[in-house]
Amino acid sequence: MRITMIAWISLLSLMAGTVRAAEVVVVVSSRNPIETLSRAQLTDIYLGRLNRFPNGKPVNPVDLSERSPMRGEFYSRYLGRSPSQIKVHWSRLIFTGRGQPPPTVASGDAMAESVAENPNAIGYLSPEFLDERLRVVAID
Amino acid sequence: MIEVTEQTNQNEPPVDSTAGRSRLHRLIEPPILSIVMAVLFLTVIWVFTLNLIARERASADRTAAVMAMDVADTYEAQVVRALREIDHALKMVRDHLGHLPAQEILEDLRSAELLPPEIIFTVSIIDARGEILDSTNRSSLAEDVTAMDFFKRAQEQEEMVIGQPQRDRQSDEWRLTFSRRLGEAGQRFAGIVALSVHTGYFVSGYESEALGEHGVLGLVGTDGVFRVRRTGNDISAGTTIDYNALVPEDATADASVEVTVNRWDDTRRYTIARKLYEFPLAIVVGLSEAEQLAPADRIERSYIWRAAMASILVVVIAALLGRLSWQLRKSRTRVMEERAEHARNVEYLAYHDNLTGLPNRALFSRLIYQQMQLARRYEKRLALMFLDLDRFKAINDSLGHDAGDELLQKMGKRLKESLRESDIVARMGGDEFVMLLSEITEETQVTTVAGKILAAVARPFTLAEQEFRITISIGIAMFPADGEDEQTLMKSADTAMYHAKEGGKNSFRFYSEKLNTDSLERLTLESSLRKALENKEFRLFYQSKQDITTGRLTGIEALLRWQHPDLGLIPPMQFIPLAEENGLIVPIGRWVFKTACRQNLAWQNQGFPKLSMAVNISKRQFFDEDFLKDVGDALQESGMAPELLELEITEAILMHDMDWTIRILKDLKQMGVRIAIDDFGTGYSSLSKLKEFPLNTLKIDGSFIQNMIPDAELKSLTMALIDLGKSLGCTVVAEGVESKEQADLLRTHSCDQFQGFYINKPMPPEEFTSAVREQLKGYADTVSPD
Repeated sequence: MRITMIAWISLLSLMAGTVRAAEVVVVVSSRNPIETLSRAQLTDIYLGRLNRFPNGKPVNPVDLSERSPMRGEFYSRYLGRSPSQIKVHWSRLIFTGRGQPPPTVASGDAMAESVAENPNAIGYLSPEFLDERLRVVAID
Repeated sequence: MIEVTEQTNQNEPPVDSTAGRSRLHRLIEPPILSIVMAVLFLTVIWVFTLNLIARERASADRTAAVMAMDVADTYEAQVVRALREIDHALKMVRDHLGHLPAQEILEDLRSAELLPPEIIFTVSIIDARGEILDSTNRSSLAEDVTAMDFFKRAQEQEEMVIGQPQRDRQSDEWRLTFSRRLGEAGQRFAGIVALSVHTGYFVSGYESEALGEHGVLGLVGTDGVFRVRRTGNDISAGTTIDYNALVPEDATADASVEVTVNRWDDTRRYTIARKLYEFPLAIVVGLSEAEQLAPADRIERSYIWRAAMASILVVVIAALLGRLSWQLRKSRTRVMEERAEHARNVEYLAYHDNLTGLPNRALFSRLIYQQMQLARRYEKRLALMFLDLDRFKAINDSLGHDAGDELLQKMGKRLKESLRESDIVARMGGDEFVMLLSEITEETQVTTVAGKILAAVARPFTLAEQEFRITISIGIAMFPADGEDEQTLMKSADTAMYHAKEGGKNSFRFYSEKLNTDSLERLTLESSLRKALENKEFRLFYQSKQDITTGRLTGIEALLRWQHPDLGLIPPMQFIPLAEENGLIVPIGRWVFKTACRQNLAWQNQGFPKLSMAVNISKRQFFDEDFLKDVGDALQESGMAPELLELEITEAILMHDMDWTIRILKDLKQMGVRIAIDDFGTGYSSLSKLKEFPLNTLKIDGSFIQNMIPDAELKSLTMALIDLGKSLGCTVVAEGVESKEQADLLRTHSCDQFQGFYINKPMPPEEFTSAVREQLKGYADTVSPD
């Protein structure tokens, strides 16, 4: 059953890989009850404007390093912003002392790891990095 | 034209009121008042507006300065904190290097989230040779680090090095690298730890709300190089400026903010440049003056606009009020002017002749009074001319009153043109004009003027499309010699005029005492002439005519005399014109006919031969409608043969109205009466017309006869007249023969008869009877009867 599922997922990701170069999904720890977030909520969380999930739990967003192609995909797809816009945004917040950007991890594996071990974390990655410790959050 | 009364102008303020009061009064006049009020309102509006604008501007200026100061304070704090954080990170990496291999430190610190966010900052560890030992973003570093200024300077410098801005090879954005020396102070250089950040980071606090689109935020090194500078969304770096000129040496935080021109983009800004205490940098903050004052400018403009609208309103209202009051004033003035005009008209009509526009008798009276006073004061003389048209009544009767009026108008015009401006012409009514010449020193001046007037009037007048020649008579009296008051002077001029008329028309005459006497005589004559007929004071004198060759008595001429009870015998010249003028000549003439005819018949009865009886006919008598009847009655009553009656008429009568005259003469001829032309040669008869008249006798005027002996020209003229008479088939009679020489000369030139003192003078009937008896007897003695 599990094998079938993995096979399916692999197949899906393969298909996805052929269809879309770098599909990215938003994930939380499977211990986190959150199943859906609105695009606005996700945007606010990643721009440092929202520090709690809708259920009141604190939120710790995790970002990928600039070198990761998934990062650009994530920001343009879910936040509708380019990396340089994000950079300008955080420059201002950091310079004026109003916030710090989310901590970064260098790879999809690292991302999966840090989201999985923190029930308050939220992250994004290619489906290929998904495992049972993670839950894909649907973004409306 | 002469102004009669002094015109008082009611618009002028009275002369005796003080000037100040009148000026004040003028201010209160509505048109002026509205202007004054308008100016006052405008002044208030604009003073208020300009004051408001000044305050608005000052407040905007203050606000901008305060804001600039606020921004600068915040910015300074942010920059200092950012720099401290960077320095802190550099120090942290440096301090960890002693304990861990370089390649692990960054990853360690990153995991511990001790490094500044990767997204903005790149931390690198570089050894003394320029090898990059580790970096959070290797690709953002230059190939040859040793060439970079942050590397070189870090070798000698203990403190953090703030590098020159560099363009990033990948992203083309400006980056700023901070570095610190590795290795203990005083020891060998072991490399550097560097942190680079895009320059935009230091100006990411640029807020459009505070700084606008043209503000400036920047960091400038004490070396004069802008590490970063931002205006709007425009970020630049690397330009050099005069640091000392920009950053004041001893700037205190609360120093006043002034507007200066920023050299790098020539923009006026409220600029604050402040050296940082811990770093070799200065912050630069600037607020664009134009932008900061824009709201104030907008408010200013709206104030000005409002003030302008208010001004226009005030001006319009003032103009309307002014116009209204001006119109009111104008209409008031017009009413007053109309009233004055009306008064003037009435005045004018009262003192001017409405036909010619000349002063009338009343005005002339005033004028002559004034002139007399002036003349008395300055001992000057005046000349008063009295002018009368000779045939005005005839023109009026024959052409109608319109033509008569036209003639008077034209006459008035010509008279005025002949005089000086200062002289006065007035019409006294009818056809009488008077002229007053002032400032006369000699009578020749008056003569000249009179001559000019005569010449002016002599030009033909065109009336009712016909040309007319008019003659006038002018009488002149001098002031004060001929009268010291108006009445006397006028009377003298009138007298002179009368005599001018009498003495030949179209002439002028000065008054003299003699004329006055004549005038008195004339008055007496006129009244006594009327009684003369009733009182049987008229007498007929008789003078004989003789045949020039035989000396035989051929006829008698009856001559009228007036035996005045007081004045004695008055010659015809002195009363005939008067009788002609007042019409008495007609009854007098009737008496003459009868008396002469009766006398002739009486003489025939006494044995005289049948002699012709010549009677002089005056013009008035000739043209009287009962003339033929009177002649017939006299012949019938006396029983004298008509062919013995000879009527002597003058050339003037002949030519006056030829058709009428020819008719009368033909009727007379029908009756058998003979016609003689008296005083022939003195008139202006057209010789060609003479033959149309049925004439029997032609009597050459005595003036020819009396002067023909010395005057050869006159002699040949006389002979020509005799020839003319002969050629007309007339009996030619010479009048006024006084000497034998004259009689002889006439005889040799075939004159038929003659009369004059050479034979006898006019005599009363008794005397004439005896004279004729004597003559007849003598004739009978010398000439044998046949």
